[in-house]
Amino acid sequence: MKKFLIALMLISSVYNFAQTSSIKGKVITDKNEILEGVNVIVVGTQYGAASMRNGSFEIRNIPYGEYTLEVSMIGFAKKNLSISFDSETKPLIIVLTEEAIQTEQIIVSASKYEQKVQDLTVSTAIISSDFISRNNFLTFDDMLRKVPGVQMNLEQPSIRGSSGYSKGTGARVLVAVNGIPIYSGDTGEIVWELIPTADIERVEIIKGPASSLYGSTAIGGVINILTRSNVKNSITHFRSYIGMYDKPAYDFWKWDDAMRNFYGLEITHSGTAEKLGYTFSFKKFDNMSYRQNDYAKRYLGYMKLNYDINLQDRLTFFADYLNMNRGNFLYWKDSRNALVPKDEDNGNTVESNRFLTGLIYHHYFSKDFYAELKSSFYYTKFDGRGIELTTSTANLFRNELLTNIILSNNVVLTSGIEASYSKISSNIFQSPKFFGAGVYSQIEFKGITNLIASIGLRYDYMKLDSLNNANAVTPKLGFNYKAAKDFILRASFGTGFRAPTPSEVFNTTTVTGGFKIIGNTNLSAETSMSVEAGCNYQPDKLFSLDVSAYLTNYNNYIEPNLTKNAEIQFINVPKARIEGIEVGSNFYLVPDLVSVNLGYNFMWARNLSNDKFLKYRPQHSFNSQVRITPFPFDIGIDFRYMSRIDEIDDLITQPPIALVVDGDKRVPIYVTDLSFGYNFLMESVPAKIYLNAKNIFNYNYVEFIGNIAPIRNYSVSLELFF
Amino acid sequence: MYKTFLLLIICCMLYFISGCDKGIEPEPEKSPESEIIGFRGKVTFTGNWPAGITRTHIVVFKNEIKSVDDFSFQNLAFVVDSIPYKSQEFIYNSVMNNFFSFTLADGTYKYIVVAQSKTPSISLNRDDWFIVGVYYNNGDKSKPGTMTLQKGKITTGIDVNVDFNNPPPQPPK
Repeated sequence: MKKFLIALMLISSVYNFAQTSSIKGKVITDKNEILEGVNVIVVGTQYGAASMRNGSFEIRNIPYGEYTLEVSMIGFAKKNLSISFDSETKPLIIVLTEEAIQTEQIIVSASKYEQKVQDLTVSTAIISSDFISRNNFLTFDDMLRKVPGVQMNLEQPSIRGSSGYSKGTGARVLVAVNGIPIYSGDTGEIVWELIPTADIERVEIIKGPASSLYGSTAIGGVINILTRSNVKNSITHFRSYIGMYDKPAYDFWKWDDAMRNFYGLEITHSGTAEKLGYTFSFKKFDNMSYRQNDYAKRYLGYMKLNYDINLQDRLTFFADYLNMNRGNFLYWKDSRNALVPKDEDNGNTVESNRFLTGLIYHHYFSKDFYAELKSSFYYTKFDGRGIELTTSTANLFRNELLTNIILSNNVVLTSGIEASYSKISSNIFQSPKFFGAGVYSQIEFKGITNLIASIGLRYDYMKLDSLNNANAVTPKLGFNYKAAKDFILRASFGTGFRAPTPSEVFNTTTVTGGFKIIGNTNLSAETSMSVEAGCNYQPDKLFSLDVSAYLTNYNNYIEPNLTKNAEIQFINVPKARIEGIEVGSNFYLVPDLVSVNLGYNFMWARNLSNDKFLKYRPQHSFNSQVRITPFPFDIGIDFRYMSRIDEIDDLITQPPIALVVDGDKRVPIYVTDLSFGYNFLMESVPAKIYLNAKNIFNYNYVEFIGNIAPIRNYSVSLELFF
Repeated sequence: MYKTFLLLIICCMLYFISGCDKGIEPEPEKSPESEIIGFRGKVTFTGNWPAGITRTHIVVFKNEIKSVDDFSFQNLAFVVDSIPYKSQEFIYNSVMNNFFSFTLADGTYKYIVVAQSKTPSISLNRDDWFIVGVYYNNGDKSKPGTMTLQKGKITTGIDVNVDFNNPPPQPPK
């Protein structure tokens, strides 16, 4: 009988432990006004909800116990509430008070832990999903061209001059999806088409070396793409666009009488079934291009699963597959045939297949101790058909364990360990293997009034096939000081490094004109040391101004070079320096109706070995975006300017080689885009339609020698949410 | 009101800045004759050809070779097609006999030679080449001759005499 009672008590206690219910409540202001869209999060768990139109919220499936609720909304002081949750708990009434400082409470996680954007010690740009939808960007990299301080040289990103152009080989900006890098195992390039734009919540861009957290490749900065969280109700997002290129500016540039068009179709479905959140997406997007042999045919499949195991544990799994067939336009024939490739390149094609999959396990040990284990696998294969068949298959495995510990109210410790391994099978990169491992730690300290100090250190070990192993230690230090309610000062010191990629070390292939690329097994890792000082002034939510000055010194900078034997080889440029000033401002000309974003960057990028400009770096760049939003309309005027590039690859544009005829033709860049959007209901289904006209003045410019950038084009896109 | 006015000014500025020119302009159409740049001449050989020669070229350098580093692709301007082994005379024209598909620019070239190699494939290693003849201006053998090229013109008389029994001074190795 005694045993039976004990068993009954145990069953009862287990039953009690497993009992769950909903935390309910309502959020109002101190003036008794209802607040919609307030985030209510159970601290130390995956659970949370947003308040609805009547101010009420409900967080379901919460076991009885002691919890802390974090309640936050832009423009209101954040509130933490300790509650004892049981069957007797009544719906909560939470009162928020307006905050004196009307700063944007945007949370960013590019520093591998969540912080407010105004607490950062380095310059950062945030791009919302709305911005992507409004501009009908055909691929993700189109969007980056509109970010001040970010330059695209064809498909290669450069943050504050970190990169020139090397035909997709090696990147100096780390691009990650939910913190998982997406550079390929062989060339180290970023394939922008692989990014699932429909699932993007926001994009965070760190402008400056971030190797102390992210290791190699992040020497120039980080672009971290955050995907959406689970949705409460299932939703299907349909997006389609169709567009066409206008006639070229000169009649004799016209090489095809048919209309050159582009189109895309994307359908994404997201939902939640009990503890499982899911997203499935399929996209087909083709582009005939305005240039001959520059077409692209692409299919993208994407899925993401979030499984809430319990309050403390969550699993995220995603898989991304891209198939792409495209022409390979290398250089124009000459300036009179600017949209036609050289005869020997016409007909060159590339077929590629890429598969990226990742598994992320999140675990809360307590509300002050969080860990994340990330594993990923990235398969890439391409077959290039041109002068010779080039083929490469790379398998890249990556694992990272990340922990965030709140040591006290004022100290947050972020630490991690990661390892990656890649195996390449190629007829141009000599089939090498690569192993890299890193360990890092960063402390954020808030113990002094109005001051946030951040210090970090990372150690990396790299071994590329038979080459000697390499080591790198990359420290960083940053300060953020709120000098006044509306004025923030920041300063940072950072170091970076980049290991040469297998393609830079082992590449042996023949490119156009019969020129050979040869390997360089003596190539060293490049390193950098960077300082930045900046300030942010934001008196109210209608105006903000951000100014920063930066300086980066590079050692052993890796650049392609023409050898005395007329072969292209990657070499180390002993010393280079990039310094500059960036100014950005956002303001409303008419509150809630006309907003303006302006950004200007002055850059002085020098190769100190020969006292020349670094190649493909403009001295001045300017971006502006004017947005007029009289609901239900949304009108945008975007303008982009970049001064004429000072230095290019003269050796391949000048006699005797003159590989690119008229290749020295380059001009300042002036591009103006227009967008016109209309929000409406289609049979009670929310819908958006956008008309876009890009490069409306049909201005002809190059980002890289012998490659005319997209000419004037028009498109219409339709989005439905049901 | 003034804000709307400011916006209008910005839009007008954009229009004028962007719309005033079309950016990159194509080169004007040129007649093939006006674009032609080249040279021609004759190479004569005296004495017996050495054994094992795999290639003999007329090579044009931008500047004299004063150090081994000057024997480089950056200093190279033109290479004429290979002269057949044991030739006694070779008449050439740079337009017809362009070995590397090089493009010549107008200007002055300061070192024109006939060079031989015994390697199976062409190399730019200084050790692989032996200079057997040098172009001189008006027979002045005290220094290498210079050649000036102009657009729309084929410069003639770039003749070199190769005397296998009396080779010219060799550039530094």
